[in-house]
Amino acid sequence: MTDAAILVKNVSKKFGDTLVLRDINLEVPRGQVSCLIGPSGSGKSTLLRCMAFLEQATSGTITIEGEPLGFVEGPNGRRLQTAAELRQTRSKIGMVFQQFNLWPHMTALGNVSASLRRVRKLSKAEAEDRAMAQLEKVGLKERAGFYPSQLSGGQQQRVAIARALALDPTIMLFDEPTSALDPELTGEVLNVMRALADEGMTMVVVTHEIGFAASVGNKICFLDHGKLLFHDTPEKVFAAPREPRLEQFLDTYLDRGAIMLR
Amino acid sequence: MSWKLFELLLQASLMTIFVSFISILAGLVIAIVLSAMRMSGNRWLYAGTGMFISFFRGVPLLVQLLLIFNLLPLIGITLPSLATAIIGLSLCTAAYQAENLRGGFEGVPIGLIESAEMAGFSRTQSFFWIRTPIALRMTFPALVNEAILILKASSLVSVVGLVELTKMAQNLSASTYQPLPIFASAGLIYLVINWGVAVVGRRVENALPGLPAK
Amino acid sequence: MSFDFAVILAKGPEILMGLGVTILIWIVGTFFAVILGFVVATARRFGGRLVDTLLTLPIEVLRGTPFLVQIFLLYFGGPYIGLRLDPITAGLLGLSVYGAAYYAEIFRAGYQSVPIGHVEAATCVGFSRGQTILFVLLPEMALLVMPPSLNMAVILLKETALLSLITVPEMTMTVSAIGSQQYAFVESLVVLAVVYWALVELANFLGRMTERKLSKLGTT
Repeated sequence: MTDAAILVKNVSKKFGDTLVLRDINLEVPRGQVSCLIGPSGSGKSTLLRCMAFLEQATSGTITIEGEPLGFVEGPNGRRLQTAAELRQTRSKIGMVFQQFNLWPHMTALGNVSASLRRVRKLSKAEAEDRAMAQLEKVGLKERAGFYPSQLSGGQQQRVAIARALALDPTIMLFDEPTSALDPELTGEVLNVMRALADEGMTMVVVTHEIGFAASVGNKICFLDHGKLLFHDTPEKVFAAPREPRLEQFLDTYLDRGAIMLR
Repeated sequence: MSWKLFELLLQASLMTIFVSFISILAGLVIAIVLSAMRMSGNRWLYAGTGMFISFFRGVPLLVQLLLIFNLLPLIGITLPSLATAIIGLSLCTAAYQAENLRGGFEGVPIGLIESAEMAGFSRTQSFFWIRTPIALRMTFPALVNEAILILKASSLVSVVGLVELTKMAQNLSASTYQPLPIFASAGLIYLVINWGVAVVGRRVENALPGLPAK
Repeated sequence: MSFDFAVILAKGPEILMGLGVTILIWIVGTFFAVILGFVVATARRFGGRLVDTLLTLPIEVLRGTPFLVQIFLLYFGGPYIGLRLDPITAGLLGLSVYGAAYYAEIFRAGYQSVPIGHVEAATCVGFSRGQTILFVLLPEMALLVMPPSLNMAVILLKETALLSLITVPEMTMTVSAIGSQQYAFVESLVVLAVVYWALVELANFLGRMTERKLSKLGTT
């Protein structure tokens, strides 16, 4: 039994004839934060979505806390998990999307308590109590009765984080959680994520926030053209970027930083 | 035309409102079931709902009502005309509402369904708790429109023997020889009802939260 | 229970006559409805505010009341103000006026959805007002209003069935009369439903073909 929360083995993914992931091997240890960075189209979001089985890898396996995700090994080879089995495996995973994806017809409290009521079958009162605690954690207790359309982007994303936490997952996946936000709203979301990391949550974060990746990430994974080119601690990655592609990629951020400083 | 006649028309219009309201609601429920069947992934259910929708949208309501009215007793079901009228109207509006809902269901952003999947919802739970409410919300204006169409279409249920506004107007016009003021008054009452539905519908539309962001 | 369709189908020629009347009234009624609707929408668009306001009321009344009440008013009420019409004329008139109200709304929306920039562009290349309307506004609008217009035509086809209630000898009237004579009412209604269904699906099919042809002309 390995200590890996997520184990990605030889994963490749094709969309039609395009190879978007090429033979990815990656281990996400328990309690650590791994940040996936890379230029757009590098396959980092696809890799994350494979870890949630929202995309099915063309080949290779992904294991969540020792259990194969999406498949069951049997005597006659592997078969797809049934919907119920997949839900069971997925229950360890919380996911936060770039576009928040809050359900527009429910309040913030409704969004967070929905899975507790419908999936866990808790009573309305108990589900809402627990949901309220999650909202408090992301600092939005007073906004519980608001609909998504009445919340700012940053608040919506914090509600989305609370919703993902509702079923007590052991792993949190973040798909570019601040990319759809105005720059002045990214801080509040990153702070919530930082607090979560400090609590010891296992996290995989696809992000363009290099600063966040450098300060919170235990490991940085650099993807380019579907290949995992670099996988190491932030110190090593950012101190001495010997990979030419990584250097080039980080340069674009330095340029941006320079422009923002002026 | 006397006030007494107008009062009789007003009374009959309550039946028009009642029949239409019940039919719209029943039609909505049937339309949701039809949508579920169409999206179930089962080829036979898909084809069956397609036939149902095509038939009830393709045959004039008058013919549908006459058919149901005459067919039911033949297969041993005798219903009061009120029930027959409601069955006929709801089946017809269900076909139209299912077609409206189709657009709503297609408009639900995929991310909202994925997030339900990640929150542990089964396909059925996701259909009832996420997709259907959002599709209903998105097609609410079409529902108001359909309500007005059904209010007007309910004028046909006189052919199954139900006395509502139009049938009352016919009866009164035959007995008093005053078709002009009587049918004009009936028209006026329909106009006021539909205007009311449109106004309330717009109010509700503006007050309802929950349209997905573009 | 037993069904005997033979007695109905034996009356083939009569049914075809009824079908002919249905199609004739439908085509002619829709034709007049489109013309009248276009004239009304155009008058509202270019006739100034007073004309626009004056025309709103009849359109809203026609759209807010059942077709059945309208034809009853026309057919049974008409004679009291000297408007004595035979059933076919009354039906045709009723269908045209009723349809015109809906077409007027379709064309009004069509006028509104032609981008103002296209009209301005035409003015800029030196088109007169008349030329702009004729060469830019109307052709663009024709493309935009085609789908709802075809849809409305199908609705009017189904509405013709109501004309049986003012004794127009169209298909519903003919076939149900045959049904009562032959004591085969349900059979006659089944035949009727199937013929309408086929007719509507045929019209829908032709409409889709037309739309596909036109969409190649490129709406932006």
